[in-house]
Amino acid sequence: MQENTVSPHHFEECMKCTVCTVYCPVLQVNPLYPGPKQAGPDGERLRLKDPAFFNYALKYCMNCKRCEVACPSGVEVADLIQAARIRYDKKPPKLRDRLLASTDFMGSVARPFAPIVNTVTGLGVAKAAMDGVLKIDHRRTFPKYSGKSFEAWLKRQARAQAAFPEQVAYFHGCYVNYNYPQLGKDLVKVLNALGVGVQLLDREKCCGVALITNGMSKQAAKNARHNVAALRKAAVDGGLKVVSTSSSCTMTLRNEYPALLGVDNADVRDAVTLATRFVFEKLEQGAKLRFKAGYRKKIAYHVPCHMERLGWGVFSEKLLRMIPGVEFTLLDSACCGIAGTYGFKKENYEASQAIGEVLFNRIRAANPDVVACDCETCKWQIEMSTDYPVMNPISILAEAIE
Amino acid sequence: MRFDSVIIGGGLAGLTAGISLQQGGRSTAIVSTGQNALHFFSGCFESLQEPPQRLLDLFAGAGIRVHYEEGVRLMPLGTFRPAALALEDIDLLPAPCFAGKVLVVGFSGFQDFFPGFLADGLAKQGMACRTVQLELPELEKIRLSPSEVRSVQVARTLDRSWGRVVREVVRLLEDEDAVVLPQVFGLQDASVLKYIREGIPARVVFAGTLPPSVPGIRTQMLLKRRYEELGGTFLGGDEVVSAHVHEGVVHSVATRNLDSHRLEAGSFLLASGAYFSKGLTANPFGITEPVFGLDVEQAADRGDWYDPDFAADQPYLQFGVRTDAALHALRDGRPLANLYAIGSILGATRPEFGSGAGLAVRSAFAAVDQILKENAL
Amino acid sequence: MNTQEFDVIIIGGGITGAGTQRDCAMRGLRTLLIERSDIATGATGRNHGLLHSGARYAVNDPESAAECIRENKILRQIAAQCVEPTDGLFITLPEDDLGYQKTFVEACRRAGIDAEVIDPALARRLEPSVNADLIGAVRVPDGSVDPFRLCAANMLDAKLHGGQVRLQTEVTGFIREGDAIRGVHTRNVRTGQEEDFYAPVTVNACGIWGQRIASLAGVSIGMFPSKGALLIFAHRINNMVINRCRKPANADILVPGETVCVIGTTSTRIPFEECDRVAATPEEVDLLISEGAKLSPALASTRILRAYAGVRPLVSADDDPSGRNISRGIVCLDHEGRDGLKGFITITGGKLMTYRLMAEMATDAVCRKLGVDKRCATATTPLPALIEPSNGKGALICECENVTAGKIAQALDRLEVSTLTDLRRRTRVGMGTCQGGLCACRAADLLAQANGCVERERADLADFMQERWKGNYPIGWGDMLREAEYTQWVYKHVLGL
Repeated sequence: MQENTVSPHHFEECMKCTVCTVYCPVLQVNPLYPGPKQAGPDGERLRLKDPAFFNYALKYCMNCKRCEVACPSGVEVADLIQAARIRYDKKPPKLRDRLLASTDFMGSVARPFAPIVNTVTGLGVAKAAMDGVLKIDHRRTFPKYSGKSFEAWLKRQARAQAAFPEQVAYFHGCYVNYNYPQLGKDLVKVLNALGVGVQLLDREKCCGVALITNGMSKQAAKNARHNVAALRKAAVDGGLKVVSTSSSCTMTLRNEYPALLGVDNADVRDAVTLATRFVFEKLEQGAKLRFKAGYRKKIAYHVPCHMERLGWGVFSEKLLRMIPGVEFTLLDSACCGIAGTYGFKKENYEASQAIGEVLFNRIRAANPDVVACDCETCKWQIEMSTDYPVMNPISILAEAIE
Repeated sequence: MRFDSVIIGGGLAGLTAGISLQQGGRSTAIVSTGQNALHFFSGCFESLQEPPQRLLDLFAGAGIRVHYEEGVRLMPLGTFRPAALALEDIDLLPAPCFAGKVLVVGFSGFQDFFPGFLADGLAKQGMACRTVQLELPELEKIRLSPSEVRSVQVARTLDRSWGRVVREVVRLLEDEDAVVLPQVFGLQDASVLKYIREGIPARVVFAGTLPPSVPGIRTQMLLKRRYEELGGTFLGGDEVVSAHVHEGVVHSVATRNLDSHRLEAGSFLLASGAYFSKGLTANPFGITEPVFGLDVEQAADRGDWYDPDFAADQPYLQFGVRTDAALHALRDGRPLANLYAIGSILGATRPEFGSGAGLAVRSAFAAVDQILKENAL
Repeated sequence: MNTQEFDVIIIGGGITGAGTQRDCAMRGLRTLLIERSDIATGATGRNHGLLHSGARYAVNDPESAAECIRENKILRQIAAQCVEPTDGLFITLPEDDLGYQKTFVEACRRAGIDAEVIDPALARRLEPSVNADLIGAVRVPDGSVDPFRLCAANMLDAKLHGGQVRLQTEVTGFIREGDAIRGVHTRNVRTGQEEDFYAPVTVNACGIWGQRIASLAGVSIGMFPSKGALLIFAHRINNMVINRCRKPANADILVPGETVCVIGTTSTRIPFEECDRVAATPEEVDLLISEGAKLSPALASTRILRAYAGVRPLVSADDDPSGRNISRGIVCLDHEGRDGLKGFITITGGKLMTYRLMAEMATDAVCRKLGVDKRCATATTPLPALIEPSNGKGALICECENVTAGKIAQALDRLEVSTLTDLRRRTRVGMGTCQGGLCACRAADLLAQANGCVERERADLADFMQERWKGNYPIGWGDMLREAEYTQWVYKHVLGL
């Protein structure tokens, strides 16, 4: 009796200490956002009293989860906010938000026409149309679509991959599949060098991270159920680890499915891991990588928000530090401002760039050859907002090995 | 993952130990359950009458400027407290009466600072006081929020426009010898404090606000940055959930985020704080230490945990983890050979280390010395 | 020394006194209400805040039950701002006798209470927090009521009808003329200022303390002080009132109100001298949690905010040692007939639910004495709004309870606030999770500005934190103790209180 407090997302453990408000990037630029304390645990008590206390300004939350990382009491503040949106926000999402959130649909439609789409989304007139009609900010650089999907590429490698003594399944995510297959190829190179072959899951769908923040939780839950079944097939039936190169996909698959979407992933959660963690653990167990002689690179590592929440930045950091010839700087952690689809929206553009400015300045001060980071949307944002190229740690590793 | 030492808790005690061990050539990791009590730090080390030189060196290395002189400081509700060692934000005054005339400056819309209480307290000490509320257009944007005009948001704004504050104060200054301003300056860089003090032709005293504490957050940030510069691994937002202890020796700990990936080390420091940070947990039947199940000195009867007088020293704040002379934590009456308890988890069980921030740094240094001695490289 | 004349003086600022003043004022009388501390400090503010349907009394006390349901319907109309029509469940658990349900429902119907037997599965759907093991459920029109605001609204309406209010004012003696009470001697407990007030009739509406006031007037009433302890949980776990369908016992009502829910009560006879300093004991706290968890298992793992106790103002009727079978009916004594003392009326017994009826009875008695022939209109006249919605704006002072600077300004302006604790009773400032941790000094700053006395306000702030701690330490473990450590740190080391 009364051994500990149990409440949804631990909201009762909030001490009203205000620490979350210090670390909320949105609060620093947008006074219309009630802030994590008011939107989260304070608001939850009021909403339990009367759902009319639900505030539509909760949509300004980027779900970066820095409040959760900062909270000394273990309150899942961002989960509370997203859960409240799922529960109380009855407004249907806008067409724009549906388009932005449907990263796999957009990808599969756009990819075959990649040269045209890339040209069109890059054109001033198309940007003006997107800005005016869809409220997607015209100043935003759109991610390019790749002509060939990663899945198609890997399928052609299937036999060669199957020959490796050890196997993993790869949750590549929409970005690798449609926008940047090179990252997937880099992973295959690194894992093959460790004697590990790479398989696809039995038809993965978008992890759903963007669907959740864009008010499409039903679709997100549908994707989650599909993905958990696919993960189960690989992890439980096949006994495989499932690796991902995206910190946001990994966090969503592991944490958000049960916490926000009510999709039970208990039997597959531990099998889902980030590629850098997988590689680090391999090396720790004695596997060896042969690095190029004379490799030189000045790297500044940016820990993405969702990586902070996973708490796994340490694996990417240790891996990069272990590459001979790397001069490593750990950037003081700060949000880049993009937060998935958040920064694409016209109404968020200014805020998004203002949030990112702290990080951009730190990057400029470090003046690296390349910024390392495990998140695709951070990459877009940093490359658009600074003059520095951004690479996933796996790509840097692939570049550094023989 | 293996380290020489794993430190549980990223507050003042944990960071002091982490920095010292890294400087001693050890590899360490700090596991920190979210942010910590430095965010509510008053800026004063109350029980450190004689600051150890190594503490001053450690702060200097991190770029934290402190000063040491016997005196009193002005509290936000207009009272005075004795103090000796403080962050540069805090003025250590020779006596409660430090000026003939004082101008107390608040900012319209910032309700976490109390010019009225301050002026009343100063007047009681014989100073003539005038209070003004500055209307700063720079704060208009954040004032659109009914709840978020907090010290840190104000500091973020004013760190960009402190010049305006200086100009306004200079304009309002009549014949006052001193100006009291809220501690909402220098969140990232304390140089702003210097510029303000130089710009106003009167003694400038910064008085505290409701949490969060701007000087405390800056201190935490600088200490963490220093620790990482020295190669320390800071695992923020993570929590140690269990430990593997065999024959009186701690071998590894597991954390919530790293799950099956355990942290192994030669020694472990428990700097997880008291109740607020869950270093100690209380249920109706007793007070326990949740990670290792250590012995906790406490009153057996729940009725004896509290003093009904809010203002009295509370018995529950005296309780703490039992340790031997070398700060090894005790379990079932016997010391664990490589586990050291430091900081406020000790409660008042080791009065020789003092309390509060003083206890944090002194016990951290003592444990670090012990570790460097017991486990010479 | 000031002297002032009224038609009627009411002693006691609980809901009965405030209701009586309102009724008298609405009937055109010049009224004065005297209260030694603040409104709603006695039994009024120390109960469940349950808007009884009367069902709880239906079997044992049909008269009270009928009164309750009538007043229940009236309060929903006149005090909508203070009432939440949540409905209630009377649940039967496996260890209870399901046969009692039939007796219960029949008694409810006889009393005019709409009691509907529902399927346990439906009960679980309607109120997901209810003990899922229930084998029977009856739905009744229970609700919750905020006694502080109800009391304040009555006081405000009395003032709007010309009534005067003297809080923090103690009656030190009566002014007698032969066999009649003609007025009272008073002393302001803060300033020490003494004043006399004259009126042909004085009403003793002091609840349990009415015994003391009566003896000051030279007459005797035997009160039966019965202590009840309650616990406040930090958030709402239920949205319907949950009761046990059995003979009334310990900890068998769980009421959702505002942002919290309240479990109670116990019933212990206490000596009269202890009425001023009742507190929940560890044994009572443990019993409330373990019994409460039978109504709703979530209580066993929900953060507790406060423990407190009140004293029921029952009038001794027989030698029942438990006090539970004593009639909670209204006692209105005209001391002229009973004791040969003119100009003195005692209104006591009753309960929060029936305050309006009690006020009506007392006012009828006053009017008879004064020869005034005006009918009671309180059953059909809505109470005024305490805080105009347009004044709810401004910066948030209490973040837990959503209290803005605008609300506080209006409370200070027209609701007789002199301390932070008074302000809390009118606005809920400091009643949330952090128990004043952030808002108390912000509110103190506003109060100091309003009354221009910082020195007094610093002491008031200390008193307020002490009053919060009084309700916190009996449940000082878990998250409550974490909060207490934080509050100690902030107030002692950061703010320098």
